[in-house]
Amino acid sequence: MATVSVRKPASVVYGVDEAPPIGVTLLSGLQHIGIISIALVYPILIAREAHLSDEQTSDILAATMLVLGVGAVLQSLPRGPVGARYLCPPVCTAAYLEPSLFAVKSGGMPLAFGMTAFGGLIETALSRLLRPLRPYLPTEISGLVVVLIALSMCNLGFRNLLGIGSPQPVDLPEYMVAAATLAAMVGLSVWSKGTPRLFCALIGMVLGYVVAAAVGKLTAADLETIVVAPYLSAPNFAAYGWSWDASLAIPFAVAALGTCIRGIGDITMCQKINDDDWVRPEMRSVSGGVLANGMSNVLGGILGGHGVSTYTSSVGLAAATGVTSRRVGYAIGGIFVLFAFLPKASAVLLIMPRPVIGAATLFTAAIVFVGGLQIITSRLLDTRRTFVIGLAFMAALAVDFFPGFFAKLPAGMLATFGSALVLGTLVALALNLIFRLGVRKTQELTVDPARLDPVAIEAFMEARGAEWGARRDVIDRASFDLTQSIETIVESCEPQGPLEVEASFDEFNLDVRVSYLGPPLELPEKRPTNEEIMASEEGQRRLAGFMLRRYADRVASTHRGGHSTILFHFDH
Amino acid sequence: MEVKEEQVGGVTVLQVKGRLDSATSPMLGERLTAVLEAAKARVLVDFSQLEYISSAGFRILLQAAKRAEQNTAKLVLCGVSGKVRQLFDLGGFLDLFSITATREEGVAAAQ
Repeated sequence: MATVSVRKPASVVYGVDEAPPIGVTLLSGLQHIGIISIALVYPILIAREAHLSDEQTSDILAATMLVLGVGAVLQSLPRGPVGARYLCPPVCTAAYLEPSLFAVKSGGMPLAFGMTAFGGLIETALSRLLRPLRPYLPTEISGLVVVLIALSMCNLGFRNLLGIGSPQPVDLPEYMVAAATLAAMVGLSVWSKGTPRLFCALIGMVLGYVVAAAVGKLTAADLETIVVAPYLSAPNFAAYGWSWDASLAIPFAVAALGTCIRGIGDITMCQKINDDDWVRPEMRSVSGGVLANGMSNVLGGILGGHGVSTYTSSVGLAAATGVTSRRVGYAIGGIFVLFAFLPKASAVLLIMPRPVIGAATLFTAAIVFVGGLQIITSRLLDTRRTFVIGLAFMAALAVDFFPGFFAKLPAGMLATFGSALVLGTLVALALNLIFRLGVRKTQELTVDPARLDPVAIEAFMEARGAEWGARRDVIDRASFDLTQSIETIVESCEPQGPLEVEASFDEFNLDVRVSYLGPPLELPEKRPTNEEIMASEEGQRRLAGFMLRRYADRVASTHRGGHSTILFHFDH
Repeated sequence: MEVKEEQVGGVTVLQVKGRLDSATSPMLGERLTAVLEAAKARVLVDFSQLEYISSAGFRILLQAAKRAEQNTAKLVLCGVSGKVRQLFDLGGFLDLFSITATREEGVAAAQ
């Protein structure tokens, strides 16, 4: 039984509740697996940092794939409290990468896994508190977190490309492999169409392997790793145990928060691409999705896998192909669980050449970076919000610009202040909290009918929107309704004295109230005919009333004791 | 609001800039009446720099369209995008007028 009530957009071929043919389901699942697999370089990076053997690395990859599979199924579940109820598969997240590398350095793999499970528990708790927390996690900060994740990916990408921190310097053939890989990914993404475009990242990686083999960077010994890997085996899950370090609690809590914020954005996008009538995030689905991700990370920590989050690129792929059926989520889940028990699949990823990892990381970082910028600019930003984002971003950059300064910090502070992602997010959250002081959620404006200035009325609404960090589209609609209503009231209702405007906002609702002494404004549900509009000013007024009613999500008009009030309500 | 008039390939192009509301629409209405007076007039209204349109603006456009029909003239709109397009859609006007994306297409459609 379908549990998501939506109106399917024309661009969606197989909607969330529909069942595509089995071939389409499997092929779509494989496409998602192709782009999700790029991020499997993160557990490989952690394993290399910990100097693990190929066999041990293979176990971590298997555990991670199992978590990716379980997570994809959980997100797709059609009912119950767990899951977004959409095709929203997880991916290894860079948000957990930096803290995990810290953990590996200070306490080895047990600490990395124990803290990943802790992060999952934080996400699980946050999933129950999303509604009251929403004012403290505004959209522009979620955009900033995505940008900071992209920066940390960029850092890692270049470390691999330039061989920073590696005893083995990068030589010319490796640069050639990196250039070929990145050029193929970007080139196919920009200039190709259809299947090559959809598989651009995967094709680029395969080409990277081929070029690496051609220039001697993929040796017979590497290929031997695949040959000797068994076809089927039970991975050694939870082989390292778990440990805990209080000094890493903040970085992992921030990783959990970042993952949670990203989940809100991705699940909201899932809702939007599946429903032509979408107006605002459906919080049950969002909470269920964040809960599913938290549970996946607890499982990942227990089994010995890497942290996961929802994946913007997968949501984008579903939108681009028009296949958004949750059955694809089940297919992704099934295939990943199968791969977890096929060591040859892990071995292929295990031998990934350093420049291919670097190029793939930079390719995804570029996409994530621009996605973050788009999220930030989707909101109106006043001076306060400008400083929240600007200062937090610069604080994060300082960590990368002046690593020597931050390296001298006491060990207990290093994990928090030595990470661009963690420090940037914490500065943004703290500044947001401080700047919330003094922001009035209700603002008034008095309009003199004798000196009507529509530009000033629009400027009032624009300034309030920026102060509140409201959505631009909602403020545009409110601005039209306010200006048009005042114009029509002044022309047709002959108000006695000034008009009083009151605008209030609370993250979920924007209400604009116009009060005046005079007869009520008619707000017809039916559009007047063209002849009626042309024939008289009465027709024009009725058109105005009809448009005012349609542009708001709800309108209410009252008239008492000669006093009229119109309330325009906009869902936010 | 500003209205700039020019001739392009036998088509009178009116470039409207700013706000089209109850205070400003009579001015555009007068210009449209004047240019549509001639039989078989070819008129393109370029709204690419229009910031706002109210019900008063839509009313004069409807009246202009009717006048064009009576005089076997041609009235085309172009540059209707963003917020202004949303308002055209909201009021049910998108299908009532001949609308093109660009000025060049608009001139070709009006000729």
